Amino acid sequence: MSVVCRFLLRFASLLVPRESRGEWLAEWRGELWHVRRHALAFCLGAFRDAAWWRREAGSFPSERHLWPRSAWRCLLLLALLALASVGYAWRYHIVLVMGADGSLAAEHPVFTALAPALLALLLLRVGTPLALGEYPNGRDAPPAFARARRWIYLVAKIALLMPIVYCGTLDLSSLVGAGRIQAHALIVAYVLAFRWALRDQRQRCPVCLGLLTNPARIGMASQMFLDWYGTELICARGHGLLHVPEIPTSCYATQRWTYLDPSWKSLF
Amino acid sequence: MPAEPKLSHTTAMILRAVDAGHSYGLSIMEVTGLPSGTVYPALRRLERDGLIRSQWERQSIADAELRPPRKYYRVTRPGREVLEAALERYPLLAKLLPMKEAEDA
Repeated sequence: MSVVCRFLLRFASLLVPRESRGEWLAEWRGELWHVRRHALAFCLGAFRDAAWWRREAGSFPSERHLWPRSAWRCLLLLALLALASVGYAWRYHIVLVMGADGSLAAEHPVFTALAPALLALLLLRVGTPLALGEYPNGRDAPPAFARARRWIYLVAKIALLMPIVYCGTLDLSSLVGAGRIQAHALIVAYVLAFRWALRDQRQRCPVCLGLLTNPARIGMASQMFLDWYGTELICARGHGLLHVPEIPTSCYATQRWTYLDPSWKSLF
Repeated sequence: MPAEPKLSHTTAMILRAVDAGHSYGLSIMEVTGLPSGTVYPALRRLERDGLIRSQWERQSIADAELRPPRKYYRVTRPGREVLEAALERYPLLAKLLPMKEAEDA
């Protein structure tokens, strides 16, 4: 157990910034020496502590920081990923895709890619709500073209995700020695990809398609009665506010967008 | 004048434990019942905010007892002021974590 605990501490210390790592490890080892029971649970807490150090050092970028804010850059990145995964699969797995033994894959390669995607959509519907939120059609709403652009972006994103998932699963299955593409892995990968596509879509401004910023918690469940509480996000260009309820209720079932009128422009 | 930091119940409990004489992480875990993943990050935050101060045990003491040295924590003067305010907010903390000397006596 001691060896496992020391290994865990060493592993967790990799999260701590280099300049503080030695002292951090010395403190945890010093404490571990006195631990008589539940040493493993004690050492697992080190990961949380190490993550705190990393966050405090400002070098723990979240997903929001890593992912491009602009919709077009997001599509460009997905297109590059799609190109790379399709290119790799085409170069090394063409025999597997086409099937050397006259299997279904040989006759209908498109079917083998689309059928798991459709199945994943059905599974996704069961496990997670597909609604993207309420976007009012008031006088501050953008023109029809801008609204259509949002849907075009969603379709383009999913269209790029499909080859990434299909060829990516093919590449991964060959790397782990699975040989042929694994159908269940493909379905799980599609579900995760579609979930991400919907989540990304919900966190974008419907006008400029930029990622929303400055999440702020509004209200607390213990202090609210029949009132809204959750998180508010804002478009950095001042197009509007997104209200995301913490718990969906009958009066606030899904996230709601509020367009800001031109009088707010001076603030952005 | 900077605003006085408001502590959560858990952080106030940890600060009270340090003030009560439980000066290292494992002792704080034992007396509060909190896991290591909660206690140690809270100690870091308290030290960052200047409410507690850490000090390494002298190597000679650790060597004499054939063990690695420990890091001890002490409440600072601003920390004590914040703790007093927190004890008004959470009055049961003082009863829950009595001073170590009084407990030993």
